[in-house]
Amino acid sequence: MTTISRPRLIGPGINRVDGPLKVTGRAPYPNDFAYPGMVHAVLVRSTAGAGRITEIDTTAAERSPGVVSVLTHLNAGPLARGPMTPLGVSPPAPLQDDAILHYGQIVAVAVAETFEEATEAAYAVRVGYADEPAVLDLDDPRAKVRTNPWGRDADRGDVPVALAGAEVVVDETYLTVDNTNNPMGPLTTVARWEGDTLVVNNSTQWASLEGAALAAAFGIPEESVHVVAPYVGGGFGAGLRVWQHVVLAALAARVTGRPVKLVLTRPQMFTACGHRPKGRQRVRLGATREGALVAVQHEARTASAVDDDNFEPTASVSATAYACPNVITRDVQARLNVPVPNSMRGPGTATGNYALECAMDELAYRLGMDPLELRLRNDAAVHPPTGLPWSSRAHKECLERGAELFGWSRRTHEPRSMREDGLLVGYGLAAVGYPWFRARCSARATIRRDGTAYVCSAGTEIGNGAYTVLVQLSAEALGLDPGQVTFGLGDSTMPMAPQTGGSSLTGAVGSAAHEACRALVGAFTDLVADDGDSPLRGCTADDVEPADGALRRRDDPAVHESYRDILARHHRPDLSADGESTPLTADELGMAPAGAFGAKYVEVRVDPDLGRIRVARALSVIDGGRIVNEKTARSQIIGGTVGGIGMALFEETVSDPGSGRIANATLGDYIVPVNADIPDMQVEFAGSWDRANPVGTKGIGEIGLVGLAPAIANAVFHATGRRIRSLPITLDQLL
Amino acid sequence: MTLQAKPHAEESLPQTEFTLRVNGRDHPLRTDARLTLLDALHDRLGLTGTKKGCDQGTCGACTVHVDGRRVLSCLTLAAQCDEREIATVEGLGTEDELHPVQRAFLEHDAFQCGYCTPGQIMSALGLMAEGRAGSPDEIREYMSGNICRCGAYQNIVAAIRDVAGTEDGGRADDVPQAEGGRP
Repeated sequence: MTTISRPRLIGPGINRVDGPLKVTGRAPYPNDFAYPGMVHAVLVRSTAGAGRITEIDTTAAERSPGVVSVLTHLNAGPLARGPMTPLGVSPPAPLQDDAILHYGQIVAVAVAETFEEATEAAYAVRVGYADEPAVLDLDDPRAKVRTNPWGRDADRGDVPVALAGAEVVVDETYLTVDNTNNPMGPLTTVARWEGDTLVVNNSTQWASLEGAALAAAFGIPEESVHVVAPYVGGGFGAGLRVWQHVVLAALAARVTGRPVKLVLTRPQMFTACGHRPKGRQRVRLGATREGALVAVQHEARTASAVDDDNFEPTASVSATAYACPNVITRDVQARLNVPVPNSMRGPGTATGNYALECAMDELAYRLGMDPLELRLRNDAAVHPPTGLPWSSRAHKECLERGAELFGWSRRTHEPRSMREDGLLVGYGLAAVGYPWFRARCSARATIRRDGTAYVCSAGTEIGNGAYTVLVQLSAEALGLDPGQVTFGLGDSTMPMAPQTGGSSLTGAVGSAAHEACRALVGAFTDLVADDGDSPLRGCTADDVEPADGALRRRDDPAVHESYRDILARHHRPDLSADGESTPLTADELGMAPAGAFGAKYVEVRVDPDLGRIRVARALSVIDGGRIVNEKTARSQIIGGTVGGIGMALFEETVSDPGSGRIANATLGDYIVPVNADIPDMQVEFAGSWDRANPVGTKGIGEIGLVGLAPAIANAVFHATGRRIRSLPITLDQLL
Repeated sequence: MTLQAKPHAEESLPQTEFTLRVNGRDHPLRTDARLTLLDALHDRLGLTGTKKGCDQGTCGACTVHVDGRRVLSCLTLAAQCDEREIATVEGLGTEDELHPVQRAFLEHDAFQCGYCTPGQIMSALGLMAEGRAGSPDEIREYMSGNICRCGAYQNIVAAIRDVAGTEDGGRADDVPQAEGGRP
């Protein structure tokens, strides 16, 4: 791999290149698309939690004004299930039989000329059910259970012996609840058929998968599906699976012969596009009196849907977190009559890290040791399962720099020992790490006659700043100004890209774009290889470096020629090249590829009489490898922090214990943080270029959220002396 | 168990005729009386900058100004707005010539996915007109009807502070003022 000279660790915080479009309201989100003759689809959902449909009467709905079609399992026809993915099976194909697997399951779709008419018709669909008892409890013996569902269970050393011999032991259980992603943009599909080609404007974080799944559903070639998603109104994981409503919008378009718009209502966003599933975790830690971990046993039981295997590796967080010779992790998944879950920012890691870091705090108090000191003492200097060096790791630096910035030394150890303005003050911390994930990715780079560049890949912009950082990386690789580069995203006809998930997009698309740009430089040197008029004649790609819109000889920078001049002389309107990046394995690298690391420090204030909790300060020090854009990176971390505060103090999807009906499926009842809940947040970046990928980044989309919940729980303990082992932590628990 | 369907009309409801005056331009409409102001703007007039986040009045993404006051267009029937002055994000700056609040949002990175942003900006203008941008805490409180799930709150406060300053209590002169504003 040829690398260009390395820019500094933290790149310039240029404004988002898509910012002007967004602040003027002109960025086109999926539900902003409209086509002539378009009709509207509205879903009808099950009011039974489990059982069968006994009757479904659409007569009244079909007579309702403006109705074009009403789809049910009786007339939908066969639809194939989407493909297996790295995140598990695709959700079941919709409307295939009379089985009810959960409350809120889609049972019909009303299609009408207007949204109002479709809504009215949806209400007119009559459905009868034969109810069966819904299996909703994690411990219900009727629930099917999968052990080691993701093959990530760890076994290292001899945990039972180590625990039995440990001088100090913590053995506690922690509960987490269902959370719902709730991106601000309701998931939308606008589907239309142009002959045999299906075109969809869709809220997705994975355009390439969306194309494959829709092709499978309708038995058509993948080339016959065109997914378009230049802008998506957030996702946080909600756009990582190909949901039933997407298939139904396409089906409705085929049946009616008209473009169809289907926008999930906010209540439907709680049942139709996933959630972070509830879970229970038991963590056992054994340590010496000096605070050296001798045993870690982490067991997690998380919920999934009846016909699903959602990816939620939770306990496995403990396999790599600390240097400890004896480790067991066990993940178990219980299949319940609940809506299909999915990844929600930091899937598995956010919850697994919560339990582990709370248990570490408990251990520190059993030892009478500073919780910071305990983390530093057990730092995993090498990758614990393999003993390989990390591709980069500044975890200790994050913890130490954070302590300094936060003023951790002002903390007094005893709970309830700090007060200010009549309020109890608590300091808490959590150490965090995020698993490395990378996937194969392709990109294409083009330089046009005017010297500007266009680079594209089928990744998606969901607020992550993808357009901006990819423009920056491409400009750097081509020696252009960011203003001369346009990046194309969110279109399944572009070169294949993996999901915007797993904190992997910048690494994947950035590396592929880097390779495409390098290949394009090679295409230029090939073009002038025998060109007697070019000062670069005879040069290979390795002999030149891009700068200022030109290629110049490395051994003699005064010898150079611009892209424009080369293209003009060769009568070429443009020149393109493809690039692909394939992540290397640990064996190939000779080191363990690392995700991001970090430290989270939080100050809470608790009213001693009312139990009211406020986060007063939150500090994140993050080792994210190279940071391409300081401004958007900081936003990723503060945004994750807001999500983490929600997880810690507010968010809980409440369902009826008998039926599974979600009781708070609105943004008024499902509490998310608002502006007044959020304190000043501080972010600092540490570390170095990561050695596992050519652009040096590690991915920071999720680590901003991870660790807030335990840091807050630990701070609440420090403030009040009350150890709350469930989320969210609410004032009633402190009275 | 059977879900009872509500009684329904066999024919379309009577259509309602009215005029929406948006950003100073009149749009005569003949529509279903159930049409919300949000759907009228977004779907009928193609002014897609006003966003549907919840359609229940809980998120603020659809915030527009009616007669100078910020309102939730999803909880407002379009027919209620006959001949009232409606201001939307499309009436502010353009990409090449941003309004100062849009410029401040861009500079302070006060958005990520951008979906709630037009509502945040219309709310920010409203709050400045109301004289509620005097301190960070005041901004936080009076911007709390606008949810940002990406979590850009800190930067939203900074952007509004930047434009509003503090000495005048956050009153901005360049807020689009409708004639005949209601209390």
